Amino acid sequence: MIETIAYGCTIGAILYFFSIGLAITFGTMHIINFAHGTVYALGAYLFVTFLSLMGGVFPLALAASIAAMLPVAYVIERFVIRRLYGESMDYAMIATYGVLLIGTELTKMVWGTTPQPINDPVGISLSLVGVYLSLYRIIVVASAIALFFALRAFFNRSVVGRIVVAALEDNEGVRCLGIDVNRYFSIVFVLGSSLAVLGGVLYAPISTVDPYMGFDILLLAFAVVIVGGMGNLNGTFFSALLLGMVMAITGRYWSQAAHAMVFMVMAIVLVKDSLFRTIRRLFGIRTA
Amino acid sequence: MRSTTRHMPLPAGSITKSLVSRDLAFVAAGFVALAIVMKMHWAIDFMIFCIFVLSYDLLYGYMGHLSFGHMLYFGAGAYGSAIWLAHVNANPFLAIMAGLFAGALLSSFLGLIALQTHGASFALINMAFNEIGFFLIHSALSDYTYGEDGLSCTAGKLFGFINFYNERHSFIFVLVLLLLVFWLLRTLTVSPFGVLVRSIKEDENRVKFLGYNTMTYKWITFVSASILAALAGGMFTMIQGFVSPITISPFGNVDVIFAVLIGGAGNLYGALIGGVAFMLIKNFLPVLIPELEKLVPFQVPQWEMWLGIVLLVTVFALRKGLVGFVRQKWQHRRQVGVVS
Repeated sequence: MIETIAYGCTIGAILYFFSIGLAITFGTMHIINFAHGTVYALGAYLFVTFLSLMGGVFPLALAASIAAMLPVAYVIERFVIRRLYGESMDYAMIATYGVLLIGTELTKMVWGTTPQPINDPVGISLSLVGVYLSLYRIIVVASAIALFFALRAFFNRSVVGRIVVAALEDNEGVRCLGIDVNRYFSIVFVLGSSLAVLGGVLYAPISTVDPYMGFDILLLAFAVVIVGGMGNLNGTFFSALLLGMVMAITGRYWSQAAHAMVFMVMAIVLVKDSLFRTIRRLFGIRTA
Repeated sequence: MRSTTRHMPLPAGSITKSLVSRDLAFVAAGFVALAIVMKMHWAIDFMIFCIFVLSYDLLYGYMGHLSFGHMLYFGAGAYGSAIWLAHVNANPFLAIMAGLFAGALLSSFLGLIALQTHGASFALINMAFNEIGFFLIHSALSDYTYGEDGLSCTAGKLFGFINFYNERHSFIFVLVLLLLVFWLLRTLTVSPFGVLVRSIKEDENRVKFLGYNTMTYKWITFVSASILAALAGGMFTMIQGFVSPITISPFGNVDVIFAVLIGGAGNLYGALIGGVAFMLIKNFLPVLIPELEKLVPFQVPQWEMWLGIVLLVTVFALRKGLVGFVRQKWQHRRQVGVVS
């Protein structure tokens, strides 16, 4: 059971890294950003290349792949996302999906379709009350928790973070203060993208790197964003952990049901308001 | 959600019988030409996909409700028919009815839940239902559906003379069905009901202020769109004689959304042209690209990449789809002609 909880925390941590960027674009621009999957997968592939170039030094290759993905993320923001600002959701979705398709095909052309395994960079297992846990996974979870507090500090203390949080609440209000909201959004977009790269790289040793890894995590991350409250950045952390745990616990008993269970939770969250309303009406309970 | 672009002016004006028969003749001629140019079974696949796209156009193009879960109803129709054929009897009429019934039952129940939400929530809650449906077909009910392996089934002759394993028979039958669906939607969308549905797309609150119960209209439209999708699914089963979980996979949703948008949402011709264009990209490019690679020295990107480029072009240049583009050019030329 401890193993299952540890696994759930790891999955939750990866989901958190990925979902932050998605939650920001969803919360600020109401854009369902499929292109986030491209950044995630492309970052992991660049990491594979850098790792062999740099003689297997994990942190160095990680930093290099994040640095290499920054301009890519900026290009996506500048030429696709920003032009879709204020458009209806469907056009934004289809354009970013187009970017995802192009990115996936480029990865397939450059690196081929075979999944690329990566060795556990730490390779030490800790024994805890008779259960073996790999140290690497503990590091992943710990860095997710550290990131949570770092982002909290960023969004509560720094100027950029506070502007973005204010714009999430009331976009036009912030613009009336004479602040160019879009510039701050693009900073945060690039930040979110580099966190997605971080997630992709950290997930690589647990799973493998394959061209369709972006597709797989996208749908789960949508569930995380919805359960976390659509653009609520603290909520995203807890919902990522919750859904990671849901996946791990369901997967322990019935592995095929893990995905469906996540979406079950998401469906319940989406209809809970109208569900309560119906129940209240059925039992004649009046709300104050 | 309020749409930012207005696809069609309201109200639509009356539609005459001759106009409808002209449209039907056009569509029929188009698909017969397609069947002559290509292999006939491809034309049949195209037409089934077009029925599916038309059903989605009713939900998305006309009512403005983007859904990521319409494949669920296609799959319900496909599996409803296949399970009937494999486990009950080989009567194709009853099997199609079973598929339609499965789609209707599912959508009338889920529609009540999903239509409580709006915008992105509506799109994603349908995706959640679709994921759960995929899981049920793929794993939970694998005693009946044989999971990943898929379910093969054989249908008898419909009404004693239509043999689904004869290409000509099935081509004519599917074409008649497609024309029927087209005619139905053509008359429905210009009827008072259709005008109301399109008004919901423009601004649901105003329709409510006028005293209409929009929930009822949305529910009826949702269920009809789902039943038509189930019809496409049932036909898929009949023609292929085999269904696999791909027919209910949530990733199939993007195909139909793209088809509608490439052609032009909120326009029945757009749905047909978009359906054909999408199927051409999907079916012909994988055949063409290896041929092209023999001619040029470098590696040619796969079809998904071209699709991605087409999508970006659609969004940034052809906002109203192919049909909207042609119509705009046409009107522009006419206006220029009047002036000069």
